[in-house]
Amino acid sequence: MTWQATLADALIESGVEVAAWVPDKRLAPIAQRLTERGVPPRTLTREEECFGYAAGYRAAGGMPLVLAQCSGLGNALNAIGSLVIPFGLAFPVVLSMRGTLGERNPSQMPLGRSTVATLEALGVQPFALRDPADAARYAKGAVNVAEGARVLAPILLEAELDL
Amino acid sequence: MNPTSIVRAVLDADPDALVVSSLGTATSALRAASDDGPHLYMGGSMGTALAVALGVAEKRPDRPVLALLGDGEALMGAGSFWSLAGLAPANLLAVVLMDGHYTITGGQQLGVPGAFGPVAAALGLATATARSHEEITGHVRALPRPAVLEVRYEDRSWPGPSPFVDAPVVRWRFEEEASR
Repeated sequence: MTWQATLADALIESGVEVAAWVPDKRLAPIAQRLTERGVPPRTLTREEECFGYAAGYRAAGGMPLVLAQCSGLGNALNAIGSLVIPFGLAFPVVLSMRGTLGERNPSQMPLGRSTVATLEALGVQPFALRDPADAARYAKGAVNVAEGARVLAPILLEAELDL
Repeated sequence: MNPTSIVRAVLDADPDALVVSSLGTATSALRAASDDGPHLYMGGSMGTALAVALGVAEKRPDRPVLALLGDGEALMGAGSFWSLAGLAPANLLAVVLMDGHYTITGGQQLGVPGAFGPVAAALGLATATARSHEEITGHVRALPRPAVLEVRYEDRSWPGPSPFVDAPVVRWRFEEEASR
C-alpha cells in the first residue's frame, strides 16, 4: 500500500468524516483513497472556502479535513486568523509543499519558503512528514491534536517524500 | 424594513434552523433579533460565512440551515454561491441583506452590481427577491433548498449589539445547539 493510502486510511480511522480541497496533483492520491473509502473530497473554489467549510463542519460536531497546496495557505489566511483560531475550530490539514527542494517553478518559491514561518507566526504548529513510514502516526497524531488539544493540525508533505 | 426586522422575519419563518451570520450588520442584527440566540456569529473572516454554512449543512442534513449574509460580505466569498450549487445541500438557504453598502466600514457603496438573484438563477439555484416582511415570510417558507433569497431594503439603521463577538463563547453555545 502507498503511504498516501496509509495516510488517508489512518485519517478516516481516527475519525475524519469529510474532506474539502482545491484539486492538486500531489494530493490526488490521498483524495483518491479517501474517495475509495467513502469520503469523497468536496471540491470548492478557493482554499479560504475550504477552511470556512471545515470550520462550519467542526462547529456542527464533525471532524473535517482540509487538503491544500501550500500556496493555498496564502489564500486562506484570513479564514484561519479570524475564524479557525479565535473560535477554536480545530481540524487536521494536509499541505503539499511546493517551492522546496526540486521545485522548477519560480512562482512557487516565495510561498513555499514562507509556509512554516507563516504558520508559526499565527501560532500554528506544523508537523513535517518526511518519512513515508510515519504516515499513519502523523495522521492519528494530527487528529488527536485537533480533537483533543483543539488547535489546527497541519501535516506538511515535504520534499523527502515520493510525491 | 431594517436589518433587525428582516432577520426577525427570517427566523420566525424558519424557527428551528441552525444560523450562521456574516460579520458586521448580519451578526449585529441576528444578535438583536434573536436576543443573543445560540448562533454561529462571524466576528471577522469576511467572505467565509456561506462556506461555513455549507459545512454546517453537510454535517447536519437533518436540520434546516440559514446563512445570513451582508451583500459586501457575500461578494468577497462569491465563489461559495458556485459551491452552493455544486454541493446542493437540501437544507440550506442563503439570505443576502442587500442595502448596497459596506456598513461596518463606514457605509461606502458597493462598486459592482448586486446581482445575487440572477447569478443564483444562472447557477440553477432557486431564488427570489423580497421587499417586505410578508414577502420574506412567504419565500423563506416556500423556496426549495438550496436557495438564495435577496432581501432589498433601504433603512440602514445599525441594529445595536456589538458585532465583535466573544469567539469561544459563540462556538460553545453553537456546538450545544448543533448537538440537539
